[in-house]
Amino acid sequence: MEQLINDLKLQIKEALNLEELTVEDFDENAPLFGEDGIGLDSIDILELIVLLEKQYGIRLSNPKEGKAIFQSVKTIAEYVQANRKK
Amino acid sequence: MSDEQKWAGTTYGNDWMHRWLIRMLRYVDTRVFYLFVAVFVIPVCLFLNPSSGICYRYFHRRIGYGRLKSSWMTYVNHCLFGQVVIDKFAMYAGKKFDIEIENFDALLRLVTKKEGFVQMSAHVGNYEIAGYTLPIQNKRLNALVFAGEKASVMRNRDRMFADTNIHMIAIRQDMSHLFEIERALADGDIVSMPADRIFGSQKFIEHDFLGAKARFPLGPFSVATMRELDVLTVNVMKTSLRSYKIYVTPLHYDKTATRKEQIRQLSLSYASELEKRVRQYPTQWYNYFEFWKND
Repeated sequence: MEQLINDLKLQIKEALNLEELTVEDFDENAPLFGEDGIGLDSIDILELIVLLEKQYGIRLSNPKEGKAIFQSVKTIAEYVQANRKK
Repeated sequence: MSDEQKWAGTTYGNDWMHRWLIRMLRYVDTRVFYLFVAVFVIPVCLFLNPSSGICYRYFHRRIGYGRLKSSWMTYVNHCLFGQVVIDKFAMYAGKKFDIEIENFDALLRLVTKKEGFVQMSAHVGNYEIAGYTLPIQNKRLNALVFAGEKASVMRNRDRMFADTNIHMIAIRQDMSHLFEIERALADGDIVSMPADRIFGSQKFIEHDFLGAKARFPLGPFSVATMRELDVLTVNVMKTSLRSYKIYVTPLHYDKTATRKEQIRQLSLSYASELEKRVRQYPTQWYNYFEFWKND
């Protein structure tokens, strides 16, 4: 799980061009959206949807499901571990 | 964001007015409505609507017209905007327009490919006419539209698109549109979206546009480069009372470059094409919000 979280941090950092954020500073429990967290917005969600498909073969289609999955890096990792196809 | 920058994303008027307009347009020549709008509606709108100041500054500072000509062109621009709205309702009423398509082959080439592609539009001319006119068979075209549009407009769009391959994706608070966009592109369909106005995500990229720095939304360019998709822009310009010309232009970017560079190249290509079209048809720019950083 720890390895998957680190991989996801790197992939998210690269996909979203978060140059100022180091992997060490990237708290896996921090909310990804909103002012209290990393501060991602709607277009970043799309990046994350594509990332999950490209890297893990997961195709998300339910917006309600997406809200729960994209809460933090940890929630993404848990979902990936349970649903990954590659 | 200033009031000028906020935009409801809807067509003026209420449902009853729209239904009445469509009914009248079945029997009355569109020119009668053009005249009515030019004489009675636009002068009032120019006084009440903040868009007139934005439009004046566009003509004066960006196009370089003098004060008097800019004032006159602001009026002409609003009259033309009134005409394209009337034309839209005239199409709902069953009226036909003469349409010329430039570079249609570029669109056909992409339609025959297995992969999906992105079709970018702008707030110039009358883009909706393209949806009713371009004969696209092999792929489904998913057009991103504002969820707050008036019921009459949405109902008529649904009716016009009933026998076509066109599907509308409404931008919603729950972000379900993002999932629809992703699914459409993954399935090899077309996604159409405006790329000259910041909405939803506030991320932007700056380019020189008509002589000053302007902010373009990052979203459309980000979506296209996510899957390294082909992109083209479609601009539909009014050329006379009853005719339009559709310009189809492929946009280029280096798909082997870094993602950031891809976005820069693609957005620059879009901005250059839009500038070319705006200089060709300066009175058909309807992007009524503060587009330029320092204006």
